[in-house]
Amino acid sequence: MKPIFYIVISLFSIGLFAQNQSLFEQGNQLYNDGKYAEAIDKYQAILDTENHSAELYFNLANAHYKLNHIAPSIYYYEKALKLSPKDQDIKNNLAFANNMTIDDIEVIPNAGFSKLIRRITDIMSFDNWAKLAVASVILFVLIFLFYYFTYSTFKKRLAFITSNIFLFLAAFSLVIAFHNYNLSKKDKPAVIFAQETVIRSEPNNRSQELFRLHEGTKVQIIDTINQWKEIKLLDGKTGWIENEDIKAL
Amino acid sequence: MKFIKHTIVVLILLITSMSGAQVKFEAKVSKNKLGVNERLRIDFEMNKDGDHFNPPDFNNFTVVGGPNQSVSNSWVNGVRSFTKTYSYFLAPKKQGSFTIGQASIDIDGETYKTIPLKIEVTTAVDIPKDPNDPNYLAAENIHLVAEISKTNPYLNEAITVVYKLYVSPNTGVDNWQEISSPRYNDFWSQNIDMKGQKVQSGTYNGEDYRFLVLRKTVLYPQKTGKLNIEPLTLDISVQVPTNRRDIFGRRMMTQAHRTVSAGNKTINVKPLPEAGKPADFSGAVGDFSFDVTMSKTELKASESFQAKVEVKGKGNLKLFNLPNISLPSSLEVYEPEHNESVKTNIDGMEGSISDTYTVVPQFKGKYPTPSISFSYFDLKTQKYKRLSSNEVVINVLEGPLSAGNVNSNVISSNTKQPVVLSNDQFAFIKTKSKFSAITPSYFFQTKLFWVSLLLPFLMIPLAIFIRKKKSERDADVFGNRIRTADRLATKYLGHAKKALGKKEAFYIALEKALHNYLKAKLHIETSDLSKDRIKVLLSERGVEEETIMDFSSIMENCDLARYTPITAVTMQEDYKKAAKTISLIDKQAS
Repeated sequence: MKPIFYIVISLFSIGLFAQNQSLFEQGNQLYNDGKYAEAIDKYQAILDTENHSAELYFNLANAHYKLNHIAPSIYYYEKALKLSPKDQDIKNNLAFANNMTIDDIEVIPNAGFSKLIRRITDIMSFDNWAKLAVASVILFVLIFLFYYFTYSTFKKRLAFITSNIFLFLAAFSLVIAFHNYNLSKKDKPAVIFAQETVIRSEPNNRSQELFRLHEGTKVQIIDTINQWKEIKLLDGKTGWIENEDIKAL
Repeated sequence: MKFIKHTIVVLILLITSMSGAQVKFEAKVSKNKLGVNERLRIDFEMNKDGDHFNPPDFNNFTVVGGPNQSVSNSWVNGVRSFTKTYSYFLAPKKQGSFTIGQASIDIDGETYKTIPLKIEVTTAVDIPKDPNDPNYLAAENIHLVAEISKTNPYLNEAITVVYKLYVSPNTGVDNWQEISSPRYNDFWSQNIDMKGQKVQSGTYNGEDYRFLVLRKTVLYPQKTGKLNIEPLTLDISVQVPTNRRDIFGRRMMTQAHRTVSAGNKTINVKPLPEAGKPADFSGAVGDFSFDVTMSKTELKASESFQAKVEVKGKGNLKLFNLPNISLPSSLEVYEPEHNESVKTNIDGMEGSISDTYTVVPQFKGKYPTPSISFSYFDLKTQKYKRLSSNEVVINVLEGPLSAGNVNSNVISSNTKQPVVLSNDQFAFIKTKSKFSAITPSYFFQTKLFWVSLLLPFLMIPLAIFIRKKKSERDADVFGNRIRTADRLATKYLGHAKKALGKKEAFYIALEKALHNYLKAKLHIETSDLSKDRIKVLLSERGVEEETIMDFSSIMENCDLARYTPITAVTMQEDYKKAAKTISLIDKQAS
């Protein structure tokens, strides 16, 4: 019974995959014809099947941009960028979308050592760093055993040095994987969807208004209490915002 | 009975007519009610002269003048009438109700007394009135009135104050000057120019008057609660008619100065209702229309355009702030220029105010200007109304994409125009995609990850252990020999062992195995594998004689076995022997 079930499931998923491809192509066709709202519907249908891709988010964001939907376009560009962080097209169009936003927030740049670490960390995802660590460990063990069993002095030296390099690489990528993992756990970006919203000093309506934010501004979620979320701007300002005004990536 | 009634009436009539000739002694006051600042004259009148006039005790009054005596005698138609009067002028000492007591006099030996009089003294009266005083006349005939259009307006609702000077037809005004003009604290005020004013006729308190509109002021209350409008005070030269007449019988006029003021007026300003007050309400009250216009919607970067926020209509135009335009941060927006074209008439301010922003886009792209809203309080419906502008999209067609690109583009634009691949275009959608599940499955920190990370390390001690075992075994010489023999046996005699029990096959396999062994060991070709040659070769290699003998005997057995019946036991023995011999040869041969 079980094998049949799996076969059915796999057939079904293949069917679903093909269906998503055709939806994607239909969406692209509608986009090219200028029917952006219909294209959004098609793309959204793909998302409803719990499948996604950077390209899907990118196209969805483009369609929203064409319809001047500030917040959704930025939201989906950011999602696309999360899946493929090095894509120039996404970065380019995100810059267009960001031009539509009202809030001007100065980004505090990372400097010196922390910038270096950040750049190294962002080379790969933590998963890939973890895989690299495992590969390095295996290589280290193999080369170490080679060192142990070989008799030639030259080969022994060479093997010892390379094995140590791999051991170091393994440790390093493991540390970076953990660092990246922690960063991505802390990294909870969100986009403001309300056209204008008030950021308060406490998670209630009585408290003082700190500042106002407009549609499309990207923030970081730090904390959640009931219907409120504590957010942090890129320039370090923090405050509380109501759940409905914001959408987490 | 009727007769008696009639005679009584006649008698009474006769008696009263007789009493007319009787002595009369009466007290008369000029008024029964007077202010504390007024004076009172009291006359004691008698129609026959008497002695010992005894005035009453005026204990609540001060006697200002008197007693003045006057006597008058007159004969009319032979009838003499005589009056003697004692007059006192009294000023009351305090307010209240007082009684002036009886005065007495002796006339013809009899004492007559007056009836006590009750006098009421009230609070001070404004002006002691004298109908012939020109100032009094002026006061009676000239009135300054402030007419207020609404005494309970809303905050910021326009009200008008009109000052009118009423002059009665028989008086004239020479000229006037303002002594104090009202300062409208807590109001925004604007005087309306009243040049070329004409005297109009109207009524004041039901009488015909002429009036002149002196001043019209529009006021916008800026505070709620009771607000006071200060009086306007004028000094007027007035021509007042007198009682005297000139030789032509016309009334002589006399000039008087009169200070008139339109009294204090209190206005009760209602606050605007709190219910439904919009958050963006900035105090506009009236009837407005709201518009946001852009001078261009399509342009190049670094060109400028004007965004105009305008409010038109009637109401307190100068008294509220226009809503700020909120433009995307990547547009450079300069301080707005404020423009007012507002006319003030009797209904209040009318016209338009506008803020004009100069905007310079820096980067290429689309810039939607969000709709901004303007709220005001509509006086007609007494409700708040909100007007929203349309969302306008500014399309910047050419220019750098973002701040990063600016510098390079600026530098390059100074020199020749290089052909640059314009990667700052809005990118087209992607046409190919691979989909993956939204809920990701991570490898990091799974069991598999930890196992595959740590297991290789376990391999090191394991390998070392195996290595150690191996070297131990290498050191064990005797055991090694057995193992070598076993190995050799299994290597070469494998087929033979399998065929054990089947006579023909066993011996063929055994022979083949021995040949193979020798081939491998002694590097000899199959062609020269005769028994003698083998013996020679083996002895050359230093194999002991005994072993060679064993070997050749096995070979002979192989040949023999083909033709003779052999038991399984013999086969077993031969197999063991072969194995032993091979291992011995292997050891001894060098």
